[in-house]
Amino acid sequence: MARIILTRMAHSVPILLIIAVLAFFLMQLLPGDPAVLMAGDGASEAAIQEIRTRLHLDLPLVQQLGSWLLQLARGDLGSSLQLNQTVVSAVAERLPVSASLAVVSLAITVPAGIVLGVAAAHARGTWLDSLAMAVALIGVSVPSFWIAILSVILFSVTLGWLPSAGYVPLSDGVGPWFQALLQPALVLALFQIGFLARMTRSAMLDVLDQDFIRTARAKGVAETGVVWTHAFRNTFIAVLTVVGYIASLLIGGSVIVEQVFALPGVGRLVVQAVLTRDYPLVQGSLLLFGFIFVLINIFTDILYTLVDPRVRYD
Amino acid sequence: MVKSLLSRHVSRRADKLGIATAALAAVLLASSAGLAQTRNDTIVYGNVAGPATLDPYVGSSTTDLEVMHHLFEGLVGMDEGYAAKPMLASKVDASPDSKTFTFTLRQGVKFHNGKELTSADVKASFERYAKVSPNASALSDVEAYETPDPRTFVIRLSKANAVFLDVLKSPVYPFVILPAEQKDKPAREVEAIGTGPYKLAEWRKDSHLLLERFDGYAPDETGKPADGLVGKKTADAKFVRYRFMPEANARVASLQTGESDIIANVPLDMEKRLAGRPDIVATKLLGCQQYFIINTQQSPTDKPEMRQAIRAAMGVDEMIPALGRPAKRSHAMTIPGGEYYNGDLNSQYYDQKNPKLAAELAKKAGYKPGEKIRFMTTAAYPAFRDSSLVLSEQLKEAGIESEIQLVDWGTNAANMQSGNGNWNISATSFCSNPNLGPQQWKFMIYNFPHVKGDTALDQNFDKFYASPELANRKAAWNEIEKIVLNQAYMIKVADTGNINAYNKNKVDGFSDYYINRFWNVKIK
Repeated sequence: MARIILTRMAHSVPILLIIAVLAFFLMQLLPGDPAVLMAGDGASEAAIQEIRTRLHLDLPLVQQLGSWLLQLARGDLGSSLQLNQTVVSAVAERLPVSASLAVVSLAITVPAGIVLGVAAAHARGTWLDSLAMAVALIGVSVPSFWIAILSVILFSVTLGWLPSAGYVPLSDGVGPWFQALLQPALVLALFQIGFLARMTRSAMLDVLDQDFIRTARAKGVAETGVVWTHAFRNTFIAVLTVVGYIASLLIGGSVIVEQVFALPGVGRLVVQAVLTRDYPLVQGSLLLFGFIFVLINIFTDILYTLVDPRVRYD
Repeated sequence: MVKSLLSRHVSRRADKLGIATAALAAVLLASSAGLAQTRNDTIVYGNVAGPATLDPYVGSSTTDLEVMHHLFEGLVGMDEGYAAKPMLASKVDASPDSKTFTFTLRQGVKFHNGKELTSADVKASFERYAKVSPNASALSDVEAYETPDPRTFVIRLSKANAVFLDVLKSPVYPFVILPAEQKDKPAREVEAIGTGPYKLAEWRKDSHLLLERFDGYAPDETGKPADGLVGKKTADAKFVRYRFMPEANARVASLQTGESDIIANVPLDMEKRLAGRPDIVATKLLGCQQYFIINTQQSPTDKPEMRQAIRAAMGVDEMIPALGRPAKRSHAMTIPGGEYYNGDLNSQYYDQKNPKLAAELAKKAGYKPGEKIRFMTTAAYPAFRDSSLVLSEQLKEAGIESEIQLVDWGTNAANMQSGNGNWNISATSFCSNPNLGPQQWKFMIYNFPHVKGDTALDQNFDKFYASPELANRKAAWNEIEKIVLNQAYMIKVADTGNINAYNKNKVDGFSDYYINRFWNVKIK
């Protein structure tokens, strides 16, 4: 298994290199000058030029790219232009928030999405199927910022059940941590539940039409057993793939929810970095996200072997 | 045998899951423990964002400054009426030729690290400022700094500057004093050690910042309480917690639920959500001004008549509702009540709303029908975008075509400063300049519209700096304002402001000012 992981990691190097080069050029395509933004309103041209020189922004692009790649080869992702800290520490400081949000959100998404998808597939063509898919469609279609605002008005302002915004670290207690995350995680989960439910339904429909399901029913297996033991277990690989994909999205893709609920996560960090033209931070964060995606994919592959013994990589 | 294989298989699965769970737990737990505060000793304040830096010499945004002025103090600062008053100095003597300024330091002032303030710290601070601040040109006429004794600091200028103390009072890029040991620290790398009533306790970027009362603070016993940024400051609350909440709904909800005591930047359309709460007070301070900046180096607005045509087409009453924030009609480039406010003197250039005149002026400028005037604006500030849309429609009434380019604020600001981006008109607002006087305006007046070769403007600024008498400086300013408005380098839209809101059952003593202050504010 260790050999497989190492091989996969080695395969990810060219992918990460492509991400690095793309991230570099994408940032350069954006108009705007980080030196001007750093210098602030009213800064003189000399002050702006001094910053440009200090940060090597005045060097030719190819030279800037070359020195960044060399830096990466030494394992150094560089330092933020605005935050006065390294890219790794800036991301590491915010990763617990995004990871916490992702974990709680996944904990809601996975059971809810699977149950909804399985129920819809099992009751195909009935009102239950239509209702489940309508709920899924609403989850996918309604903008999360709107749901978030309504949710805050209902659960925080009117009912007073949950805090309206902010993050409490896990080290301050599981209760306050969970309370702070529940509302944003629910909002975030709503979209993901819809997505997972639709994918689960589709995978279940394929399996439910198979001969072995008919055989199981003919043998007198209870319907619950048919659905969960015979049918669902055979869709698990597909469901796991979707869950892995959702987990990847949740790490860096919950910008809007982080913004509305004032959660200091990595999504907000990257958006802010783009707006302030913090090149090293955007490039380094994208590269780290790429690495996290690769890790999640490897982890998903390992999980395949756990849920289905027929899957072997050696 | 089967059992053994099964148990090994299960154990290997458990191992893999165990490692993954442990890694995840490590990530989730990776954060430091906070300081013990209670709601009874902490003011909780919600604003859009937190500071980008706590190095005062590079701090220019309101979110930077509202924290910095609790941590640091300067030799002089501005009072409630924006006039310069001594802060760390007990006395300031200016020589009759306005070239030498002698500051006597207050006794017993300590830094947050316990060290006593001396003139050596002041000298080191000014020297560092000249090295790292984008505003270092403000000190370009300094000939020498002298420290004859630990409590006396002298600045000698090569050229007379009658408003030098006004330059030093600036809350933007503030001339505050840091311990001398920080003299060689590069920009943005200083430790936040000042002499202010609060010291930095915790700062989690994107989340919150915590200030803690500085028990060694030496207040200015001779000053009035909470007099602008000067006076006798008392840290009544033990902690001040700044929460960074970019979303207005979250800020408003946090005040409604009691999670915050004071919030800033309440949008106009959300103010009504607070209306049914007798315990919540919403206040409006019109401390800023919005302008259209006209690029004098870009055709066709390089011709004065074309700029004047745009000004003639503009009507303010249609524009104010589009700002979405508190706004009031005013032609002046200073705030009413300030010492440079000149009444109706230059009001003829404001709110002309005369499409016929605009069309004539455009024709005189050689404007060809169909030629497009290019707006550059941003969706990040809806007031800028929406007022640009209104002006674009008003130009259409005068037969002037235009197109609007939306960019992010970073690009907008950078292009406005550099003149790049092929723009003719952009919108922005100024908050410190209208309050602090002409010396604060100078840079913006020249650089945003890219004014070149205006000798009348140059002469009046020279006269302004060289005049020790206020009356002569006011006369020079009147001329400067007239030139800027007449030449339509900038077109004034309105005095604008922000809405703050607070819970009067929870806090006592909070009042509106240029930046939000939490000294002399009590928790009930």
